[in-house]
Amino acid sequence: MHKKEMPSGALALLILRVLRAGPMHGYAIAQRIHLLSSEVLRVEEGSLYPMLQKMLLKGWASSEWGISETNRKVRFYRISPAGRKQLAAGWSDYGRVHEAIQAVFRGA
Amino acid sequence: MNTIFRRIFYLLNRRRFEQELFDDMEFHREMAAQAGNRNFGNTLRLREEARDAWGWTWVDRFGQDLRYSIRMLRQSPGFTAMAVLILALGIGVNVAGFGFFNLMILRPLPIRHPETLLRFQRQSPGNFSDNFSNATVAFYREHSTMLSAVLELNFANLTIEGEAKPLHANFVTANFLSELGAVAAPGRILDPVRDDTPDAEPVVVLSHGYWERQFAADPSVIGRMIRLNGKPVTVVGVASPEFSGLGLESPDVWAPIARQPYFFNYNQALTDFSERGLNVQMWGRLRPGATPRAAEEELASLTSELRRQHPEDIWKDERLPSRPGGYAVGIRHEMYPVFGLVATLGLLILTAACGSLGGLLLARGVAREREIHIRAALGAGRGRLIRQLLTEALVLASVGMFAGVLLGYLVLRGLILWTGLPAWLDPSPDWRVIAFAVSLGLGTAVLFGLMPSLQIARQRHRASILRQFLIGGQVAASCGLLIVAGLLVRALNHAAHANPGFEYQKVISVDPALVGYTPAGARAYFDTLESRLARLSGVESVALVSNPPLGNRWTVMAAEIAGRSIGIHINHVNPAFFDTMRIPFLRGRNLLRGNKGEIAISESLARLQWPGENPVGKQFRLGTEACTVVGVTGSARLVSPEDSDAVEVYRLPDPDLLPSMVALIRTSGPPEGLVHTIESAARVIDPKLFPEVRLMKEAYRGKLQDAEYMAVGVIVLGCVALFLACAGILGLVAYAVAQGTREIGIRMALGARPSDIMAVVFARFLVPILTGSLVGIGGAGALSQILRRVLYGIGNIDPVSYVAAVGVLGGAAALAMLLPARQALRIDPLHSIRHE
Repeated sequence: MHKKEMPSGALALLILRVLRAGPMHGYAIAQRIHLLSSEVLRVEEGSLYPMLQKMLLKGWASSEWGISETNRKVRFYRISPAGRKQLAAGWSDYGRVHEAIQAVFRGA
Repeated sequence: MNTIFRRIFYLLNRRRFEQELFDDMEFHREMAAQAGNRNFGNTLRLREEARDAWGWTWVDRFGQDLRYSIRMLRQSPGFTAMAVLILALGIGVNVAGFGFFNLMILRPLPIRHPETLLRFQRQSPGNFSDNFSNATVAFYREHSTMLSAVLELNFANLTIEGEAKPLHANFVTANFLSELGAVAAPGRILDPVRDDTPDAEPVVVLSHGYWERQFAADPSVIGRMIRLNGKPVTVVGVASPEFSGLGLESPDVWAPIARQPYFFNYNQALTDFSERGLNVQMWGRLRPGATPRAAEEELASLTSELRRQHPEDIWKDERLPSRPGGYAVGIRHEMYPVFGLVATLGLLILTAACGSLGGLLLARGVAREREIHIRAALGAGRGRLIRQLLTEALVLASVGMFAGVLLGYLVLRGLILWTGLPAWLDPSPDWRVIAFAVSLGLGTAVLFGLMPSLQIARQRHRASILRQFLIGGQVAASCGLLIVAGLLVRALNHAAHANPGFEYQKVISVDPALVGYTPAGARAYFDTLESRLARLSGVESVALVSNPPLGNRWTVMAAEIAGRSIGIHINHVNPAFFDTMRIPFLRGRNLLRGNKGEIAISESLARLQWPGENPVGKQFRLGTEACTVVGVTGSARLVSPEDSDAVEVYRLPDPDLLPSMVALIRTSGPPEGLVHTIESAARVIDPKLFPEVRLMKEAYRGKLQDAEYMAVGVIVLGCVALFLACAGILGLVAYAVAQGTREIGIRMALGARPSDIMAVVFARFLVPILTGSLVGIGGAGALSQILRRVLYGIGNIDPVSYVAAVGVLGGAAALAMLLPARQALRIDPLHSIRHE
C-alpha cells in the first residue's frame, strides 16, 4: 500500500479522527496515521497540507501555536465542534458504503 | 456562510497565512529528513497546491496578468493610444446617446416623488386631447379619492411694463409648487391655501433665471409690486434654480390659476366646462397605496357623471388614460422608431469600433508571435495564454470605457449648451449610464478580445475568415451610416432651396391667443384686425387659419389609403387663405363662406384616394362627417414640410374654433418693416392681449434647425464610423502584409512588379469590402424607411446619397489599404525569405 492515493474524503476522516485525540501539528498527524495504519497508509505533504487548508476553510479545524517535541514553535491543529460533527457523519457514511460493498461481495 | 467569511478573512491576511503554511511545511520537511525520509517534491508547487484550497489563486494570477498587460500596453504607446481612441469613440457615442435618452425619458425630473405623479389625457374613440377645462379638473379634484393632489398648468404670455418681449407665465394651481417640492430662495412659493381663491391677493413667484435676467438677482424685489398686463401684482418669491417644473420649457413666472382671469379680464373662463373655458393640462398625485389603474377607473366613472351634467362638453365614452408624469418627456408610441433608429446607429458605430479594434489586435498578434511562442514553450497552457490576452483586452476596455464615459459626458454637455436645453438637466453620468457603459465595455472586451485571443493562442491566426468578417462588418456599418448621413444632408439642402408648395418669404403670422373670447368676440376681433391691416400700405391680403403653417399645432387624422398609413392634416381656413399662401387651385373652386361640409383637398391626397379620377364632387369622410370635395389644391405640406407622406384637407372653421385662429398677412414688399406696425395694430384692439407676431421666414428657418441638428449628428456619426473603418482596414492590411512577408518576398524575387504585389494585397480585401458595402446599402435602405417622414420629400432610396456614400467609403478604404500596402514594396526579398 506504499504511496497509495487515498480518496480525499477518507483522508479528511482520518485526519479528523486522529485530531480527536488532541491538537497536533502537521507532521505528527502524518506520523500518527502512518503508525495507526500499521505503516500501511502514508500521507504525503502534497495531500496533507491542501487537506488541512481545506479543513481550516470549512471550519472543521482551527490552528493555534504550540511547541513541538523538537522545541520549535509550530502550528497545532485542533478539531472543532463542526469537525466532530463532520467526523460522525462521514464515519457513518463510510460505514454504510462499506457495508453495502460487503453485501454486494457476499451476494455475488 | 461562515466559509465565505473565513475565505475573506484569509484574503485579508493572506501574507500571514502563507507564511504560516510555509513554516508548517518547512518543519514537516525537517522532521521527515530527520526520520530518514527524503522528499524531492517541488516545494513551491506543493505550497501553491495547498494554498489553492482557499480559492484565491486567481487573484494572484489576475494580478500577474494585469501587471503584465499594463507593461505590454505601455511598451507600445501608439497601439494603445489608437485602441483607446477607437474604444472611446465607440463607447462614447453610445454613452452620449443613452445619456440623452436617460435624461429625457428614464431619469425622473428633480421633483418630489416623481414616481407617484401621473399625467392625464382625455380620450374617446376618435378623439384625444391634452387639454382639460379648468372647471372639469376642479370637479375631479373635488371628487377623486385616489388622487391626493390634482395639479393644473396653463401657459400664457403676459406683458411686463417697459419690456417689448412677452413674459412666459405658467398659471398653476396654488398647490403646484409645494406638491412638486419646490423651495423658494428667497421669499416664499405659492401657498396652497392662501393663494387658491379667486379673490386672493394677486401674486407671482419668479423663476430663478428670470430673477437674474430681469432683476439682476436683487433680493429686495420680494414684496415689490410689478405690473403684468397692466395689473399690479406682488412678487412673493423666487423658486430655487434646481426646480425643473414639469417639462423642458421653463417659465419666467408662476402665478395662481385662480387669478388668471384678473390679468385677462374674463370672468367665466374658470367655471366654463366647454372648450371656451380655460384650457389646462392635468397631473395627479396618487394617494399612497393607490394604483394608476384604480385612479383611471375612478376618473372614468367621475367623467361619465360629468357627462350627465354637461353632455355637450364631455365626449361620449370619454376616458382619462394616464402616463407617468414625473419625466421630462413622456414616452409615446411614435417615438419607438426613432429610438430604434438611434440605437441602430449607435450599434453600428460600436460594431465598427469592435471590428476595427479586432483588426488592430490581430495585427499586433503577428508582432507578438515570438513572445507567445516563447511563453508556450515555457509551459503556459492555452487557457493561461487566452486569459492573459483577455486580461489585456479588459485593461484596454476599461481605459476605453473611462474615456468613453468622459467623451459621452462632454458631448452631452455640449449638446445641452448648443440646443439651449434648460440648465437643470444634469448630464453627469448616473448609475444607469455607468452600468450601460460598463456593460458595453465588458461586451466589447469579450467581443474584440476573445476572438483574436483564441486565434493567437491557438497559433492558427492565419485563417482569414475572421479577417474577412471584421472588414465586412466595419465596411457595412460605416457604409450604412454614411448613406443615412447623406440622405439627411440632401434633405436639408433640398428643404432650404426647394419650394415647399407655398410661399413663406413675405408672410407674417399673428397669433392673438384669444383666450376666454366667445366666438362672436373673436369674430369681431378678427374683423377689426382685418379692416385695420387692410388700410396699411404694403399689406396685400389677410387670411385666417387654425393650424398656422410651420407652427406647433396640428390636427392629424390617421387614415389607411391604398394600404399605406397616411397622416391627413386637417386645417380650418377662410377662403382668403389659399391666395395669401400662394397655394394654387388645380381643379374645382375655392371654399365658399357659409357652405359647411365642403372641403378642398391637396393634390397629393387626390392622387392617393382617386388615382386618375377627378375628385371634384366626390364624397370624403372626415371622422363621422361626410364632406364634398369642391376643389383640389397644389400639395403644400404646411405644418410638417419634412413629412412627404403628409396630405392636406382644408375646410371652413366652425365658429367655436375662431378664438384659437391665427391671422396670416401677405405683404407686397419685404415683411420685416411691417412687423412692428402690425404688432401695434393688433395690440390696440385689445391691450390685454399679447399677440405673437412672427415672420414665416424665421419659422421656416426654425423648422430647418431640427433637421440641421439631426444631420449634423448623423454626419458626425458617419465620420466617426468612417474613421473607425479606415483604422480597422489599415490595421488588417498591415497585418496581412506582415503575415505575407515571405510570400511577397518570393514573388518579388521571381520578378513581380510593384503593381502585381499591390494587386495581390488588395485582392484579399476586395471581396469583404464589396460584400460589406452591399450589406451596408441594403441596411441603409431598410433603416431609412423610418426616416422617410423627415426627409422633406427626398426619397429614401435617393441615388445621389447612396453613390456619394459608397464613393467616399471606397476612396477612404483604398487610401487606408494603400498606406500599409506600400510597406510591402519595401520588403527586401532575400531578407524576408531568410527571416522566416
